[in-house]
Amino acid sequence: MSRLEVYSPEGLRQDGRRWNELRRFDCSINTHAHTSDGSSYLEQGNNKVITIVKGPQEPPLKSQLDQTKATLNISLNITPFSKFERSKTQHKNEKRILELQTILIKTFKKNILMHLYPRTLIDIQIHVLQQDGSLLSCLINGITLALIDAGIAIYDFISGISIGLFNETPLLDLNSQEEIVMSSVTLGVVGNSEKLSLLFIEDKLPLDIMENVLAIGIAGAHRIKDLMDIELKRHAKERLLKQSK
Amino acid sequence: MSLSVTEKSYLYNSLSSSPSVRPDGRLDYQFRAIEITTDFLTSSNGSSRIIASDGSECIVSIKSKVIDHTVLQPDDSLVEVTLDISGQRDDSPMVESISSLLREVYSKTIDKKSLTLTTKYSFKLYIDVLVISTYSNPISLISMAIFSALNSTYLPKLVSSFDDIEVEELPTFHDYDMIKFDVNPPLIFLVIIVGNNVFIDPALNESEIANNSLIITWNDNKISPPIRSLALNDTYCEGFKPQLLQRSMELVEKCANGITAMLQDDK
Amino acid sequence: MSDVISITKKSGSFQKFNWSDDIERSLNKSIYHKNDEMDIDSDEDEDEKDIDTLTSGATTSTNNSTFNNQQIVTPGELVTDDPMWMRGHGTYYLSNMTYSSVAGAVSKVNRLLSVLPLKARYSPETGDHIVGRITEVGNRRWKVDIGAKQHAVLMLGSVNLPGGILRRKSENDELQMRSFLKEGDLLNAEVQTLFQDGSASLHTRSLKYGKLRDGIFLRVPSSLIVRSKNHTHNLPGNVTVVLGVNGYIWLRKTSQMDLTNDSSSTNLNSSTASSTQGPTGSINTNSISITRLEEESSWRIYSDENDKNITNNLRKTISRYTNVIRALSMGEIGITKERIVTGYEASMAFPNIGSLIELNNMQTICEDVINAEKMRGNAI
Repeated sequence: MSRLEVYSPEGLRQDGRRWNELRRFDCSINTHAHTSDGSSYLEQGNNKVITIVKGPQEPPLKSQLDQTKATLNISLNITPFSKFERSKTQHKNEKRILELQTILIKTFKKNILMHLYPRTLIDIQIHVLQQDGSLLSCLINGITLALIDAGIAIYDFISGISIGLFNETPLLDLNSQEEIVMSSVTLGVVGNSEKLSLLFIEDKLPLDIMENVLAIGIAGAHRIKDLMDIELKRHAKERLLKQSK
Repeated sequence: MSLSVTEKSYLYNSLSSSPSVRPDGRLDYQFRAIEITTDFLTSSNGSSRIIASDGSECIVSIKSKVIDHTVLQPDDSLVEVTLDISGQRDDSPMVESISSLLREVYSKTIDKKSLTLTTKYSFKLYIDVLVISTYSNPISLISMAIFSALNSTYLPKLVSSFDDIEVEELPTFHDYDMIKFDVNPPLIFLVIIVGNNVFIDPALNESEIANNSLIITWNDNKISPPIRSLALNDTYCEGFKPQLLQRSMELVEKCANGITAMLQDDK
Repeated sequence: MSDVISITKKSGSFQKFNWSDDIERSLNKSIYHKNDEMDIDSDEDEDEKDIDTLTSGATTSTNNSTFNNQQIVTPGELVTDDPMWMRGHGTYYLSNMTYSSVAGAVSKVNRLLSVLPLKARYSPETGDHIVGRITEVGNRRWKVDIGAKQHAVLMLGSVNLPGGILRRKSENDELQMRSFLKEGDLLNAEVQTLFQDGSASLHTRSLKYGKLRDGIFLRVPSSLIVRSKNHTHNLPGNVTVVLGVNGYIWLRKTSQMDLTNDSSSTNLNSSTASSTQGPTGSINTNSISITRLEEESSWRIYSDENDKNITNNLRKTISRYTNVIRALSMGEIGITKERIVTGYEASMAFPNIGSLIELNNMQTICEDVINAEKMRGNAI
């Protein structure tokens, strides 16, 4: 893809979005009621992610037992068919996957009220069925939804968003093609606040416009939080209606 | 999950008595209800997701790739199957035994001709299976998921000429027209033996007290190899009489056509 | 529909694919598609209003007066800034403000403010009648899976040992703990106390508790079982159900003991038995005195032997009850004795018990149960 096609002079991106538009965001919770304590299914653009929370539960291994608080375990499974070109290897135990798992555990450890669940294990499994850029931010949103569905106490939503920088123009919520050609930042924003629980930059970025980039990212994350909130409240009303029957 | 001694003996007596009583009242040839979704992965040629009523869930993706089949060894297959069971290591006995069975079944039964593009090139199919959760042995569920995925698979339409030995050109495809992949894939059934009775599609608690179980393949409207016996538990497992193999095959014959028709039905 | 298998088929995206999928949901879903692309431009305010109006339109359709006055909150949401409230479960506290930590309805009882999550694991309370499974035999204690966040503990001193009450405990008991209860064994018990961390300690010091025999186990969400005085019910067809508060359920052949317990409870409260015409009402003659049973409680209470004559018909009845309870669970209807009995009667319309595993037949049973309650005028 030539650099010109990424962002046209008229201000349109390749998929027709403007610089500050999110992709389609469609989520649901309680999708795996039979087999888990909490679950979510998230479609963000062409990303499709299943998140399953089991616990808090008795840890199968004594090493996972902490007398004062819960232990959090996250395992990420990126399926070989998730990208357009099928990847030849199973991704398990790849360095990249282990790194993402660690980032997610660190982010959510601070957000869950872990001290309420001593001597237990919270086990999160993520299955990425399809990916198209901004993977880390999707994983964050999926986990937030699944944790809330499980009734596990958290301080606030964490909503994930990615912002790229193209010739000084920040672009919100990158797809995989955009991700290749430009530097990007992934943010995890706490609820409606401007606090960041995660900042993840792997490429070079000019520092002088960093503030601007963050402001746009935070605004985008707030929108995602609102969308998740709408779905959660809708689901809650439906359930209360059922229970009142 | 381990059952208590009293649960096991109650189940064993119920299933081995004559007439038998299954814990959920099913008939001996009756399957548990399933829910199938197809065509949800836009970047795959075919996909399906199947959920059984106990929450067992399996997702299958079919992707294709154009390869030069003239360089293939005679044993090389145009179909590759990979299996991932969530929470199980790739080298665990269960994953290894199921994937070897799947490889054997699907690499042999899918006709090479149906994948041939030109005299030189063919499609290669990658069948990726992800089992998200499972309680009893998932083999039958997997085969039904692969069946529906293959039945919803569309491959690009060839526009260049079939004979390309002389003209050294790569096959080219129509921009958006796709052709439905026409196959009649095999199905794999699991039958358990309890006393003198046989049952299809065992639930977890039934598997726990099975004296033995048989994996039976159904291909091209008849029972075909591989047929394997499988121990589902440590305590009740024992040898079985040859007559029961016959009865198991009759049981499969009784329901296989119905299942195939239901799975193919495009409603 | 064939009697071999029932298949529900869908194509395309499987967003909102719940088993109990209803049209209402798919209608609501379209709202989000209208906002496929979200602008956060300068016209953000306008856009926000757009979304708000759309959702309020959606919620009015599902809105109902029964929870109109209930405030629904999500994590991080300010519940109150009034410091007079005591903060209960599901909330946290930051500089005089009380925030929610879960998604659910706000509950205000006296001065206690809490948020009840929509879904959570069973959390034990003292006095709960539960069903559990032994997972570990340890030093003078058993670990019991009761579906809670942590396994419960059953102390060796909290069980009746063979030989009756006057028997002395010996070191020998510690060595033969596995001969009383071992891994995998199911039992019903009462929650005796709770530990600081919320885990439970159980006891089985009553003849109605102990090892479970003569039947099958099934499991439903614990939210569907309402705490009540009695959790063991004799049902028509010579079947007894133990509805554990934790959602673990045991269905078994009605034993002599069940009949004894039931006849004593019917004397106290005759109205409970009047709804059923099973063997429950008629038995009074061969009731055995409780003291006598206690004397007889020997090794038999830990026996692994089932009753020798459980007839095929009785097994079928138990299977039928299993499917009825599963149907109620699928329809998310609270499970009570009355509903099980109504559901059982409704299920008789399906002579083949196996057909009750199909989704639409389960729905029929749920509808019948709800309609029956409306007819009687005691709909909740």
